[in-house]
Amino acid sequence: MKRRSFLKKSSLATAAISVPFILPSGRLFAASGMRMSDHVVLVAFAGGVRQQESILQRYLDDSQSYPSAGNILYNLFDGSPPTDKIVYGTKNIIDGDTPIPKILSQSLESQGTTFREINASAVGHYAGVNAMLTGNYMYTQGLRNKPMMPTIFEYLRRHQGEKATKTWFIGNGIGNSIPLLDYSTHAEYGASYGANFLAPIITFGSDGEKHLKNAKVYHPEDELDPMYKMKYFLDNVWYSQGKALPNIGNTEEEKAEIKSFVKDMFDKTAAGTIAHPPVSDNGDLRTIGYACEVMKRFKPTLTVVYLSNVDGCHSNFTSYLESLHRADHGVGHIWDYIQNNIPAMANNTTMMVVPEHGRNLDSNNIVDGNAFTGYDHSDANSRRIFSSIIGPGIDSNLSIGNQNNTVGDIVNLTPTIAEILGCKTDVVNSGLLASNKSLFDLI
Amino acid sequence: MPTFKYFILFFIFLFLFSVSSCKKEDVIYDINQLQSSSYNANKNKLKSVGQYISIVYANLFQKALSSNELVEITRCIESIGDKQVAHEIVLSNFMNRQDVIIPSDSMMRADLDLFLEETYKRFFVRNITEAEREFFLNFLNSNPHVSCEMVYMSFALSNEYQFY
Repeated sequence: MKRRSFLKKSSLATAAISVPFILPSGRLFAASGMRMSDHVVLVAFAGGVRQQESILQRYLDDSQSYPSAGNILYNLFDGSPPTDKIVYGTKNIIDGDTPIPKILSQSLESQGTTFREINASAVGHYAGVNAMLTGNYMYTQGLRNKPMMPTIFEYLRRHQGEKATKTWFIGNGIGNSIPLLDYSTHAEYGASYGANFLAPIITFGSDGEKHLKNAKVYHPEDELDPMYKMKYFLDNVWYSQGKALPNIGNTEEEKAEIKSFVKDMFDKTAAGTIAHPPVSDNGDLRTIGYACEVMKRFKPTLTVVYLSNVDGCHSNFTSYLESLHRADHGVGHIWDYIQNNIPAMANNTTMMVVPEHGRNLDSNNIVDGNAFTGYDHSDANSRRIFSSIIGPGIDSNLSIGNQNNTVGDIVNLTPTIAEILGCKTDVVNSGLLASNKSLFDLI
Repeated sequence: MPTFKYFILFFIFLFLFSVSSCKKEDVIYDINQLQSSSYNANKNKLKSVGQYISIVYANLFQKALSSNELVEITRCIESIGDKQVAHEIVLSNFMNRQDVIIPSDSMMRADLDLFLEETYKRFFVRNITEAEREFFLNFLNSNPHVSCEMVYMSFALSNEYQFY
């Protein structure tokens, strides 16, 4: 009897010692690594960007057989802008004749590390961003389905215990299945570790003005509290039937904060005080303005900003150049805004800029108003992209790879973000990545 | 011939015997019939955003939503990741409109039983259970400031209302 009692007590004590404390987020023990910074901003410089007009600074030289080369992304890269046939700026006399002034005194290239030639692998918008956020190639799933592998948002929330409002995915629209990328369908991760998605130019655009702006603000104690009590009773009754709804797990406080944010954004939009870049004449730049507001309000650990106006390149090369130039302007604004307007994130943020894929070597037959031909994305040239990384602990003025030496793959981005935020070991140990190497491992 | 006659008679007898011998009375135990499946188990399909908005709009305004507005509101909901937050904002926007059709608070309080029965049918297309009636009667009686709008909001935001 004594022996049995001893065994019972000792086994209970052993279990108490060996069973780790499980946080509500599902995280066990402490973070597995040191953080390089507490915040990461990933700008998906997306829509399909050719190396030739971006990092190679060829402007019209390689695309339209017109001898004018130069750098139109001068917040990102060092290099002189073109001097002939300027079509990408704002309008002074004719459309695009005035380049947008540079925001940053030093380019991101000179302040950080540039991977000049990376393999994009996928050449579709959704597949590209999916690969970027999951660290996996999208070989076996449909375009209109949620990712099958966990996103970096889910890794971060599960393994770092981040709250839902600490991970944001801000898109410039709801097309291309982009809203589906906030979380995956993976059984061990999924909705409860998802990010807050926002497509601000719709939420705060004409549709939102009409159907969201005049929302009633209920009193938190007198109205919302009893309303939620009744709802939770109904949900509990329903839950007994076993049918649950996906829920990204914003707490009541977080939901209240998001609703308050939405209301404030409508007020700021009406007052014209949104943190837009100096020039904000397209959807990408307006999206960036609201992304800055999200960062200022919530100080997210991970913010992904999805741009895609350059996709107009299929049929309008001029608008592609305009959008590229504006995306560079927007990236400069984000970095400048974080350093000067969000003290909690200044000097404590790593920013990564990367297209989801490139564009073809040869043009299609669609001609725009400047007689420029458009470019699709389907050939080997479409698999060529670059990446710029800037932030604490990132080598400055370091250039990796070149046209003849591809270093890195788009699936290395997820482990790179995990490494910056101190959870690479957890993410790698999930065994779900296509590559366990971060971009830093390839330097 | 007589042999054939007996043969026919034998088969007629065998047929009548087999038919009559299979009859068996159902046993009745004199208890009430109960449905073994749960009361809302037949709701197993999640409404699409468009279906949800169309149905809740028709419920609250007693008229159909225009196709333009349906597209616009659907886009608004898709633009916000947390669907509960998105639905709450859209619904509270509905509640702020003059033409929303909901019973007055005094009408609700005049006959809570009837109000609850009608609300369950209006939103969930089913009868209220006694447990649910008990909860709501207690809750509404102990919270006299709870309005009909708040009850409608809780039903419209509930998970059961997302299914059909």
